[in-house]
This record gives sequence, C-alpha cells and structure tokens, in this order.
Amino acid sequence: MQDGPRAGRLAGPASYHPAVPSARFLPRLALVALFAFTLGACARKEPVSQAPDSLRAEQLVFAPVTPDSLALVVAKAGGKATLVNVWASWCEPCREEFPELVRLARTYEDKGLKVVFVSADFTEALPDARKFLAAQGVDWPTWYKTGSDQAFIDALSPKWTGALPGTFIYDAQGKLRDSWEGKATYAKMENSVRPVLSLPPVTQVETDTTSKESRS
Amino acid sequence: MKATRAALLAASLVLVSGPATAGETASAPASLALGAKAPMATSKMKTANGKEVSIADVKGAKGTLVVFTCNACPWAKKWESRIVELGNDAGKKGIGMIAINSNDPNVNADDSYAVMQSRAKERGMKFAYAYDATSGIARAFGATRTPEAFLFDASGKLVYHGTIDDNADDAAAVKDAYLANAVNAVAGGKAVPVAETKALGCGIKFRKSSAS
Repeated sequence: MQDGPRAGRLAGPASYHPAVPSARFLPRLALVALFAFTLGACARKEPVSQAPDSLRAEQLVFAPVTPDSLALVVAKAGGKATLVNVWASWCEPCREEFPELVRLARTYEDKGLKVVFVSADFTEALPDARKFLAAQGVDWPTWYKTGSDQAFIDALSPKWTGALPGTFIYDAQGKLRDSWEGKATYAKMENSVRPVLSLPPVTQVETDTTSKESRS
Repeated sequence: MKATRAALLAASLVLVSGPATAGETASAPASLALGAKAPMATSKMKTANGKEVSIADVKGAKGTLVVFTCNACPWAKKWESRIVELGNDAGKKGIGMIAINSNDPNVNADDSYAVMQSRAKERGMKFAYAYDATSGIARAFGATRTPEAFLFDASGKLVYHGTIDDNADDAAAVKDAYLANAVNAVAGGKAVPVAETKALGCGIKFRKSSAS
C-alpha cells in the first residue's frame, strides 16, 4: 500500500468536539509525562510498556470517533506527522506491535509526532480495550470506532482492505504519506515517520535486517 | 567476534521468521479483480467432514461462493450464523459454497482443523468448510482478512468481492445485505447491485510462504 500522488486527504466536517482530558486528569497527565520523560532520558531503547501505578483504566480518555470526524481528530492532533493505528484488544498482531508504537510516540513526541490509536473493538470488548491501553501506559486521549466500516476504511485510506492492524501516516496537511496492513517492526515505523518529520533516515543498524515486512 | 555476531544475527533472523510473526502481512498484493476466474480452483483441501474438495468441485449450476473465514476471529464469529445461513441458502439456489480457513493455527489454536470439525457440526454447515493447509489459496486470491467473500457467476467470473453485510455487530441493524443480495442476483441471472464492499476484519494469519 505505498501511497502515491493519488492518495487523498482526510476530509471532514467543520465542527467536531473531541473529548478533552478532565481537569482531574490533567495533573496525572503531567506526572505521567514526567515519568515518561525520565524513563525516556534514562533508557531510550527500552520499550515504554509499563504504565505507572497511577494510570487507571477508568481514568483514560477513550472516546468514540465517527468516520466523518476522523479528519478533525487528525487535524486537532496537530502533529507534524500523525500516525493513526487501528487496533483491537483481541487482535494478536495489534497487541504485539503496540508497545513499539507507544515507544515511537514517546521517542518522537518532541519532534512533532502524534500517535492516534483507534480501537475497532465491539461494544462488549471496550472494557478490555481500556484495560489494555492502561497497561500499555497510553496516557493521551485515544478513540474507538463507531459507524460504518466502509466509510471508516475509506476515510483513512481507500487502499486499505480493512484488515487489522492498519497503520496510516499523515503529514501536517492531512495528506496520507504511508500506510500498511499487519504488524510492523519499530525500524519500519521509524523509517516511515522520519521523512514526514523532516528527519534523515536512521543509520542502518542490525535490527533493520528484520524490518522488511516480509510476507509471513 | 565477527562470527559470534553473525551467529547471533542469524539466530535473531530465525526467531523473527518463526511462528511468532505469523499474522504479519506485507503491503497487500492486489486482490482478485472483478471478472477474473478463481485461482487454484482445482487444488484439493481437506474439509471439516473429512473429504478432499477443490473450489471447482463445489461449483454450482448458477455459480460459486468462496468465503475466507475462521473459527477464532471476533468478526468471523459475529457473522458466523449469517454466513452459514447464506451458504446453506446459496446451495439451494444452485450456487456452490465453500468456506475456507487459511489461518495458521499456531497463532490461535482455535483455528485448528479439529475446531473446524466441531464448528461445522454445531453450526449445521451444509457446505464444505475447507482447511487451506499452506494459506496458499488465500494468497492466490489476495484475500487479507476474515471474513472475506468472493462470488463467481455461472461462467466462473468474479462478480462480487467483499464483506457479508454492513453491520457485523448487530444482525438486526443491517441495512444492506451485500452478499445475500449478490447471491440472489446471480441466482436470478441478474447483475449484482454492489460488486465491491469492505469491512473491518482480522488479518489472515498467513503461514510462512515456502517461496520466501
């Protein structure tokens, strides 16, 4: 799914009000950010998959998103690059790559990367999704999909077949710059977001030999 | 030292290419185009009731319906009773149905052949539920998720590719039963109203290709 010049921009309605963290939640966000910063400074290569004890599932901002409001969610994320990852709590490859996406979010936060998680869980599985998000230490607002599958798929990328996980990278103008289906390695994620963040490719390291998304 | 590094690298490569990475899909290859014939139509697969059956074997007078599905995927489970009903009904209308499980059961044991056998019985499947032992059939179709349907007309041309209907979560809230409508159109010798649709689904857990 390499996206060429034909790839469209996310187009949405003019008004939408995404959920914002409650005032009660904000001090915790600050604490968590400090924690993440400390962890990031000490061990950049360690996966940031452990949530601080204070991050509780019921306090997460986890809100519905419709196909029509996706564009605004991406725009409001305000990233120089915005990575949208569609996952589900029951999806094994999604769960496997999740810590790497969180690590990517932490590592490139100050370079302008925003990571927007959208859960495709059914209503009855949303509590599981929430628990998983807390366990992964996702202390920023995330979303769950509502409404038509077809419209949701087309809003993210008409080239997407709908298979999970699905990952989409948009630039600051909301233009789709890269996308893929199936789980990816950290090196692949990194190499995909860096050009959008105007960063040079990372020096080839040994782990890159495993980064090609070979058909399994 | 160099040799050690090389050995470590080789070991890590073996690890990443093992079953743990099954389910990884590459940038999806183009799926079968409308008008195309079914690929690998004469490849035999073991069905849940112990027979060896190919896609060509189940061909009906009016057409053939191929549905990639599985036992474990929550979307496949939500749609399961509708798929069974549709498949049993298609058979009566002269459209031969074959459900195919291409998932590697090493990823989720519920996708094993044994579970297929019990599921076919429990659900009253009157059509073949086949085990794609290499995932090769799904690869040849360019199928990426479960469930995913391909409907061929009497002349063997693909006339519908996509999902079951527009609401996996709630059968009562379905507004457009895409596949049922397509089956009815083909059975009646009419043009399919909507030929291509999409829905969310579980990525097919492909086995490691022997070619790579």
